[in-house]
Amino acid sequence: MAYVATRGGEKAIEQAERLFRQDLGPIDAARVDTIRKTMPYLVDRVMGEASLYDEELAALALAQTGGELSEAVLVLRAWRTTQPRLAIARPVQQDEVLTQRRISAAFKDIPGGQILGPTLDYSHRVLATDVLEGKPFTPPPVDSAQAPAPVRQPSLAEWQRQQGLVAPATEPDTAPEDIPDLTREPLLFPASRAHRLQSLARAETGGVLALGYAAMRGYGNAHPTVNELRLGEANVVVRHPRGTEFSAGRVRVSQAEVTSKEKGGYLELGFAATFGWNEVKVIAAATLDLNSAEAPVGSAVHEEFYLYHTESVEASGFCIHFKLPHYVTFQSVLDAMRDAKAKKTAADAAPAETRQMEPAE
Amino acid sequence: MSLASLTKDWAATSYGFLDASAKRELRRKMLKAIAVPGCQMPYASREVPMARGWGTGGLQVTLTLVNPASTVKVIDQGADDGVNAASIRRFISRVSGAAETWDTLSASIVQSRHRVPEEVMREDQILVLQVPNPEPLRGVEPNMSIARQMHADADYGKLWLTLYEQIVRKGRIMQGAAYPSMVNGRHVMTPSPIPRWDVPKLNMAKHLTFLSAGREKRLFAVPPFTRVEPLVFSDRPYQVEEHAHLTCRRSGLSGYFMNEIPQDNGGSTFEVSDSNLGIKAIQKAEGAPTEIGETWYRDGEYSA
Repeated sequence: MAYVATRGGEKAIEQAERLFRQDLGPIDAARVDTIRKTMPYLVDRVMGEASLYDEELAALALAQTGGELSEAVLVLRAWRTTQPRLAIARPVQQDEVLTQRRISAAFKDIPGGQILGPTLDYSHRVLATDVLEGKPFTPPPVDSAQAPAPVRQPSLAEWQRQQGLVAPATEPDTAPEDIPDLTREPLLFPASRAHRLQSLARAETGGVLALGYAAMRGYGNAHPTVNELRLGEANVVVRHPRGTEFSAGRVRVSQAEVTSKEKGGYLELGFAATFGWNEVKVIAAATLDLNSAEAPVGSAVHEEFYLYHTESVEASGFCIHFKLPHYVTFQSVLDAMRDAKAKKTAADAAPAETRQMEPAE
Repeated sequence: MSLASLTKDWAATSYGFLDASAKRELRRKMLKAIAVPGCQMPYASREVPMARGWGTGGLQVTLTLVNPASTVKVIDQGADDGVNAASIRRFISRVSGAAETWDTLSASIVQSRHRVPEEVMREDQILVLQVPNPEPLRGVEPNMSIARQMHADADYGKLWLTLYEQIVRKGRIMQGAAYPSMVNGRHVMTPSPIPRWDVPKLNMAKHLTFLSAGREKRLFAVPPFTRVEPLVFSDRPYQVEEHAHLTCRRSGLSGYFMNEIPQDNGGSTFEVSDSNLGIKAIQKAEGAPTEIGETWYRDGEYSA
């Protein structure tokens, strides 16, 4: 049985996993809670990519993977897919979002006003090294505005529609409960609008940024103007079997609408939304959406290209699978290569007049 | 009668991990795949607790087929104790209660990455191949929508041209594993990256083969007794790897697909790739009661 004794895959994988978990140490509810409270943007990003809104589970996934983002997303998605789909929430309308931040780069001021909300946009990005010198950082209190901003803000695109700048909204031809669900059916091309936006919503932030940035730099055909960027909370409105509609809770959402040039007498709009607050992702994703219409097949702004290649779980999984042994396929390649080399050597050694020429066909 | 007697105890996941809606979709697509041999069927491909590209497609098919009476063998590169094969087998058995085996003869389901076992599979066995890239046209047409159209039109000219160019440039077809093969005279499939050695084993086989790509969300099938013909020119016969003359340094077996083991002093030695076949040969030599099944290759020659 010497053949077996020299191997030992099962023991090796168990110990390798133990080593990883030992380095992270014990995980308790307090650690999960700390992650949830102190890293809201990280938790948001993971919830968005996992398409599962649960801060506690997302924090747990981060804790048990030590912050390895693609692993955290995979753990959450694998959990999510086992859960039943109990209800379908009413689509969220822009003017219903409890808005905390809403800006537009298209106009100096917009109906409802520019609401900066929480942002680092205008901060000086200085590392707070004082904290390490023993001087804790206590954020200075925020001075309230004289009048609080309205909780709900109108949609800028709605105003643009009234002005005839944006094409009238078309009535949806699909009932809300029949909207295709990307997590239950495959992505096919040309993708339905629902599938494209769902796929972008759960796309990997870095991947969307890279391809969106490529489009912005000039590899796309439309340079975006941020028509409206919105961070807020949306009520998840579901219907009770008795018919009553009620909010089952609130989720943090981001959405971006970008525009570029005129087409057919109207401004074109690109749109993206995701769970959690993740501005970079929605701006980049909306830019990809905006560019899709006229994208050449095979270009980075063509939907088949960017939707496939920003799929976090698939991309990271395939990348790390190259660590698996490939010696059978490699052996097959070697065999063909050695034989071709031997044939060439034999042909080169043969006298010139006896060399066989490929028949011309 | 009480509510408790009518319901099952709460469990974190359904039997076999996948929930009923996922299994229903898979079963439909698997039946469709059998009905149109070699044609790629898109499916939702749920996330499973394993990274994409690590056998998630094969796993979903196996989890749909498995039942408590199943016996499951999982191999990677021909080996049952490859780390990932061990991990997949442990998972399947944990969520389904199926028995585990290393022996091809006693398995009801064989899930494999990159190999078909050397022992002939029977009518009552199912082979599930893990597929990284289900699209044989990917090399000549990366766009999936266009490739789908080409399959619909049976437009395989670009593939034939690639093979012809290899002959012109290199004197032979350079395709290593994943040799494009015509199924039932209609659809060209990639037989997953199994070596050329293994492709004839799928032709007119007694067993059913599923090929499933989880990351790419496509599955296809070769039903029993279905033609699988590698694309070759009539004057350039199909060539399997030249392994017929190699001998396994551990088991003494020869005439099977081998792993090449580079040596410190230059040169190589070889080990039989179907590791459990090697183990059985050693056990037999040591006088232990062992049954070795009939093999597809005899003395290094394929004999159907």
